[in-house]
Amino acid sequence: MTKTIAIIIIFLIAIALGILVGPTRLDSEILQLRLSRVVLGIFAGGILAFCGCLLQGLFGNPLVEPYTLGSASGAALGASLGIFLFGAISPILAFLGSLGVGFFVYTIARIEGGLLRDRLILAGVVMSFLCSSLVMIIMVLGGRELYEILYLLMGYLGIIINATNRVMIIALIAISIGLVAFLYRYHRELDIISQGTETAAGLGIDIQKFSLVVFFSSALLVGLTVSIVGAIGFVGLIIPHVSKLLFGPKHIRNLGTSFLLGATFLLFADTLSRVITVYELPVGVVTSLVGVPFFIYLYKR
Amino acid sequence: MFLHRKLFVIIGCLILLGFISCAQEHTNSSYRVVSLSPAMTEILFSLGAGDKIVGVTTYCDFPPQARKIRKVGDFSNPSIERIVALKPDLVIVNLPEQKRIKSELDKLEIKTFISSPKSLQDIYKELAAIGDTLGLRRRADSVINYMKQNIQTVRTSDRKSVYVEISPKPLITIGAATFLNDLINAAGGTNIFEDLEKDYPVVGQETVIRRNPEIIILLHPEDASGRTGWQNIQAIKNDRVFKNLNPDHLMRPGPRLVDGFRELKRIIND
Repeated sequence: MTKTIAIIIIFLIAIALGILVGPTRLDSEILQLRLSRVVLGIFAGGILAFCGCLLQGLFGNPLVEPYTLGSASGAALGASLGIFLFGAISPILAFLGSLGVGFFVYTIARIEGGLLRDRLILAGVVMSFLCSSLVMIIMVLGGRELYEILYLLMGYLGIIINATNRVMIIALIAISIGLVAFLYRYHRELDIISQGTETAAGLGIDIQKFSLVVFFSSALLVGLTVSIVGAIGFVGLIIPHVSKLLFGPKHIRNLGTSFLLGATFLLFADTLSRVITVYELPVGVVTSLVGVPFFIYLYKR
Repeated sequence: MFLHRKLFVIIGCLILLGFISCAQEHTNSSYRVVSLSPAMTEILFSLGAGDKIVGVTTYCDFPPQARKIRKVGDFSNPSIERIVALKPDLVIVNLPEQKRIKSELDKLEIKTFISSPKSLQDIYKELAAIGDTLGLRRRADSVINYMKQNIQTVRTSDRKSVYVEISPKPLITIGAATFLNDLINAAGGTNIFEDLEKDYPVVGQETVIRRNPEIIILLHPEDASGRTGWQNIQAIKNDRVFKNLNPDHLMRPGPRLVDGFRELKRIIND
């Protein structure tokens, strides 16, 4: 119990720092910006960690992360096409890209029979590689838009908020709350499936249907997130492990704490990325640099 | 006897013709230039040396004649094979973007001319240098004078602060190491990010809002309206946001900067 209270307190501290710390003095406009950034950080970090936990549970594989299913590369592909064709990043195209790749992955995974669960990872990894190559071709052909694609690939929370992405952000928040609440009910199934599919099947869990639900939910959530803030790395992979180290393997605890820890971690990382240099760093750089040593420390304990 | 004289005349004429055609060849003896810099392509044409260019990039679109020249690739990835196939005497490269191509050309011992202007003075120096290289120094000097005459510093006691946005996501602006910065200074404005030494720094929204520019210039197709947190910036409140400038007049270090400068003067001093 005390651990839970501790991380809630740290979460609140992260929010406070996110609002108060920055390169300039606080006033009403800056407050608006910081609040938006904090909201984005909470939901992006939370969703990525939550989906990481979900997928690691579904596949029983500790190396799975939200981007394994191809949503990040799909979003990057959609966005790059947008830059290439229209000269501007369109979050909507990014979202369509990630959904499109999600469907492709599902279709490929379904081609031969067998367990959907097993084939999804392979199909996802393959599609990720394909999309990355396509993005690189676009980068080579495009040339000058390199910087924008780079920030999309690394993740950046300080985006300009205007009419288009305000809609997407509200959609993200609404869909996140809905789906998180919905998927939370499956915590017991996740506990069982992560141990192996034979036990799960024996206990009457419809693995096909479960895989489908989880896959599409996370594709939707991650796709939306990446379209807005880019592919922030590391959060979805490591935070579920941190959560398990602190709270044990059961998903009834871990789904929620992953969300909270993911949000906290991303908020801290973003605050740091704001103040390290005059030039704004993509937050993905900070999450990687800071995350690894912290994880090693926690693992050694 | 008669025959010999005729033969003599014929041979004499042939020899003469030989000399004449040799001489012709010398005046047409072309110096083959490949230009990997759209700005330098424009400059070469302004020097009347357009006919020396045998290869350009896909971005070399001005003047219109430049579009007809054979393409060797785009700005970031020109093809070394295509360049070499054209047997150039000189290849104009941009640093640092084309560092890799330059080192390959160096290995092949093909002569290169480096273009890397970080200020207006650099542009004038490079113009003089390319003029020297091509034996067109006098024409280069007249282009330099044309530019100097038309890009004259505006004396004003009321300098306007200017924010130039090259990209909205992430926010990329211009720092001190650009000729655009010099142009803005000359036009009577001050670049709000002049204190950053980089050429194209990425900055955060908060910093732009804090520095409260009076004029915003957008060099990309997106809008600056409706941005959360930006509503109290002077330029937004007073509707001094300018979008439809030709970026080639402001981002290409060549004689068309004169046109860009005219626009800047109008925007800043109106």
